[in-house]
Amino acid sequence: MKRELTTGVNLHIIPTKKYKTTRISIRFSTPLKKETVTKRALLSSLMETNSLNYSDQVKVSEALAELYGASFGITVTKKGNRHYFSISLSVVDDQYISLDQAILTKAVAFLQEIIFAPNRSELGFDAETFTREKQNLQEYIASIFDDKQTYASLELQKLYFSDSSDQSVPSFGTLEDLEKETPASISTYYDEMIKNDLVDILVIGDVEETELRALFEKFPLAARNDLDKKTLFYHQSVKQTCHTKIDVQPVVQSKLNIGYATSTYYYQEDYFPLVVFNGLFGGFPHSKLFMNVREKESMAYYASSSVDTFRGYMSVQTGIEGKNREKVLRLVEEQLVSLQQGNITAEELTQTKAMLKNHYLMSLDSAAAVVEKEYVKNQLPETAISDEEWQKRVEQVTIQAVKKVAGKIQMQAVYFMEGAGN
Amino acid sequence: MEKKEYAQLNEVFYQETLANGLQVTLLPKADYHKTYGLFTTNYGSIDNEFIPLGQTEFVHVPDGIAHFLEHKLFEKEEGDVFQTFGKQGASANAFTSFTHTSYLFSSTEQVYKNLETLINFVQEPYFTKETVEKEKGIIGQEIQMYQDDPNWRLFFGIINNLYPEHPLHIDIAGTEASIAEITAEDLYLCYTTFYHPSNMHLLVVGNLEPEAMMTFIRENQAKKAFAPAQKIERRFPKETSIVKESQIKMSVNRAKAVIGIKGLTEVPSDSAEAVRYKFALQLLLELLFGNTSQNYLQLYDEGIIDDSFGYELNMERNFYFGDISSDTSQPEQFAQAIIQMLTSYETSAELTEEKVALLKKKRIGSFLHSLNSLEYMANQFSQNQAGEITLFDHLPILESLQLADIQQAAQKFIKEEAISKFYMYPNDEK
Repeated sequence: MKRELTTGVNLHIIPTKKYKTTRISIRFSTPLKKETVTKRALLSSLMETNSLNYSDQVKVSEALAELYGASFGITVTKKGNRHYFSISLSVVDDQYISLDQAILTKAVAFLQEIIFAPNRSELGFDAETFTREKQNLQEYIASIFDDKQTYASLELQKLYFSDSSDQSVPSFGTLEDLEKETPASISTYYDEMIKNDLVDILVIGDVEETELRALFEKFPLAARNDLDKKTLFYHQSVKQTCHTKIDVQPVVQSKLNIGYATSTYYYQEDYFPLVVFNGLFGGFPHSKLFMNVREKESMAYYASSSVDTFRGYMSVQTGIEGKNREKVLRLVEEQLVSLQQGNITAEELTQTKAMLKNHYLMSLDSAAAVVEKEYVKNQLPETAISDEEWQKRVEQVTIQAVKKVAGKIQMQAVYFMEGAGN
Repeated sequence: MEKKEYAQLNEVFYQETLANGLQVTLLPKADYHKTYGLFTTNYGSIDNEFIPLGQTEFVHVPDGIAHFLEHKLFEKEEGDVFQTFGKQGASANAFTSFTHTSYLFSSTEQVYKNLETLINFVQEPYFTKETVEKEKGIIGQEIQMYQDDPNWRLFFGIINNLYPEHPLHIDIAGTEASIAEITAEDLYLCYTTFYHPSNMHLLVVGNLEPEAMMTFIRENQAKKAFAPAQKIERRFPKETSIVKESQIKMSVNRAKAVIGIKGLTEVPSDSAEAVRYKFALQLLLELLFGNTSQNYLQLYDEGIIDDSFGYELNMERNFYFGDISSDTSQPEQFAQAIIQMLTSYETSAELTEEKVALLKKKRIGSFLHSLNSLEYMANQFSQNQAGEITLFDHLPILESLQLADIQQAAQKFIKEEAISKFYMYPNDEK
C-alpha cells in the first residue's frame, strides 16, 4: 500500500511474515545527468562512512552491530532517464530475539541520523573523510579496469550511447568529474538532493502501517515537485552504421561485446515478445548463443545476451580466443538472423517460457526484488499486473510475435578487447 | 525419518539415512515459491590420491579431475541435462570446491520431476573418449579466465605459500597440462569411489511435503543397485614448512597484499566442538580486523587499506587457514601491520568482554539474516555428515561463546611459523 507523507514523499508498505527480517529502502530519485552522477556517487560514500554523531566508521559499525548486525548500505544506480540514490537497511525481527525490543524503532532512528545529520560544517563535508572517500572512489573507478568483463561492458555502453553524455556515464561517475569536487561542492549538492529529489520509502516485513507512519513522519522532508517530466524511458535514434572499437590488453582471454537497439520498452508494445526473444537468443543455458557458440562450436567460455528495456538496448557478451573474433561475430549474427526468420522449435519456445516463469516466481522470494517491483509499479502503473496475468502474457507470446520483435533489432556497436597474452 | 524442531527459530527439518547409505535432509519452507534440490558428494579438488572402490592400492589421478567430472556428468548419450531441466522449467547448476562437489536445481513447478532428474543424472554417468576430449577446450577457457582474475590469483598465491605440497594449492579446475591427461577411465574410477551413495547427501528445501517426498526418494533409490559401501581411504602429501613470502606481477592498477595463517593445531573431532572452535576463530578475526575494531580504523585512516579489505577463515575437512587481504599502495606496510596485530593478540585492546558481547549480537543477527536464504541453508546443510550438528544448532553455540574461548582458540591458531605473506604488484608496462 502507498501513503503520501507529503508531496513527492511516499511511504510504501509490503506486509509479510515470510522473512526473519524487515527491510527498509529509502530512494532519492532525480533525472540522470552527467553533471550530478559523480557527485551522487561520492555523496553516497560519504554518507555511508560516517555522520555528525557517528563521527567515524567504527561508530557506524558499532551502531549496526548493536542493531544485531543490521545490514546497511547506500548504492547509486540508474534506470532509463533516472538516477537513484538508495539507502537500504535490513534488520532482524524482534520476535526472534528474546532479550531485545523495539529494534525497528532504533533502526529508523539510525537512518534518520545517517540521512539528515551528515558529517559537515559551514565549510562543507568533514575534510579528512572527504579526502579519503574521494581517493577511494578514484581507486574504485580505476579498479574497474582490472575487472575485464565489467570494463568491456562499460566500454560498449560508451560506444553505444555516444550521443548522450548522460547515458554513457557509469552509475558511479567518472574520474574527470570527480577531480572537480570539493567538500563545499558536495555539501551544496547534498542540500539540493534532500530538497528536490523524489523520495520513496519502502518497507517489507512483519510490520504495521500506523507504527511506520509515526516513525517516518519524523523525517524532515518538505514537499517537492518533480520538475523534469521526461519519461522514465531513454530513446535514441537508430543508426545505419555500426561503431567499432578495438583495445589490446595484456590478458589471456579476449572479450567481444556487441550492442543492439531493440526499440522496445518495459511493459510497452512487444515487451513480452522481447523477453521471450532474449530467452531464446542468449538469456539461458539452452539459448542459441550458449548452444551454438559455446557448446556446438566450442568458441567461447561464455556467451550471453541481456536486455535493458528502460533504454531500448540489448548487449551480447562473450569471452573468446582473440583469433576467433570474426568467426564469433558471424556466429552471433547467424543466431539473430535465425530468430528473425522464426527458426524456433515448439520445444525451445515452451522451455523458454517455462524458464521465464520460473525466474519470475523465484524473484518473488527475494525481499529486495519485491521492493523494486513495488517501486517500479508506482512509476509505471501499467506494470501493476497480477502474477497470474504476467504468466499469461508470457504464455501468449507466439513465434510470429518473436519474429516481429527480432526484426526490429539492429546492431549498433561492437567492442573488442584483444588479449595480448600475459 | 527423524524430525527435528527448532521452536525459537520457527524451523524444522527431517532426516534419514537410506539403506544404501545416502543421507537425505528435507527442509520445508511453506511461504516460498521456489524449491532447491542439492545433491552433494564429499569429494573435491584435493582428493587426488585414494584407494578406488573394490581395490587395495592407492592411485594418483590428474589435477582438476573432480571439476572435470562435474562438467561431464551433465552430458548424456541423449543430450545435455541442462536442457532437460530447462524443459521442466528449472535452472540447474553445479560447483566444485576443495572438498565437495554439488549439483543443484531450483524450480517453482514440477518439483518431483526435477528432483528425479537431479538424482538420476548424478547417479547415471556417461563418459566417452569423444566427449572427454571435447570438454578439454571448454575447461581450458575456464582455466584461462581464472588466470586473468587478480583476486583468484591472489587467493591461490597465499595458498601456495601455506600448502606447497598439499593439493590445496592447485587450482580447482587443474591446469591445461593436467586436464590434457584425463581419460574416460579416470573419470569412472573417481566416480565409482566418490559418488557412492554413502559418500553423498541429498537435500531439498522449499515448499514441500516431507512424508511424500521422502517416500519418493526412498523408492527411487530402492530401484538402483550399488556396490556395498566401503570407507574411502584418501592420502595427502606430508606437510612441509610453509613458504614465508612470495610475489607476482599482474596487469592490475593497484598492488594487492595478503597475509595467510595456516591452522597447525588439529580441529576437535566432535562436530559441536569443531563448530565452537571455528566460531571462536571467526570472532577472533572479527575482533582484530572487523569494522568495529580500532585496528581497522587505524589502517583505513592511514590509507593502508580501502573497502577491498577483507578477512576470512576457511575451514574444511583436512585443513583450515585464515587470510587477510587488501588492495593497497603500501603492501609491505600492510603486511607488517597485520602480522603485528595478529601476533600481539594477547595484549590487544580489541579483545575485551564488551567487544565480544557486541560482536556476538552482530553474529546472531547475521545468522538470522542468513535464514532468509534457501541457498545458504541448503549449502550449509549439505556439508554435514550424518550425526553432526547442523546450522540450526549454531545459535546456542554462538550465544555461549566467551572471551576465554576466543583467547584459547587464538593460542592454538596464531603462531609465528604459521604466517606467510604474498604480494601482487602491477606490471611495469601499461
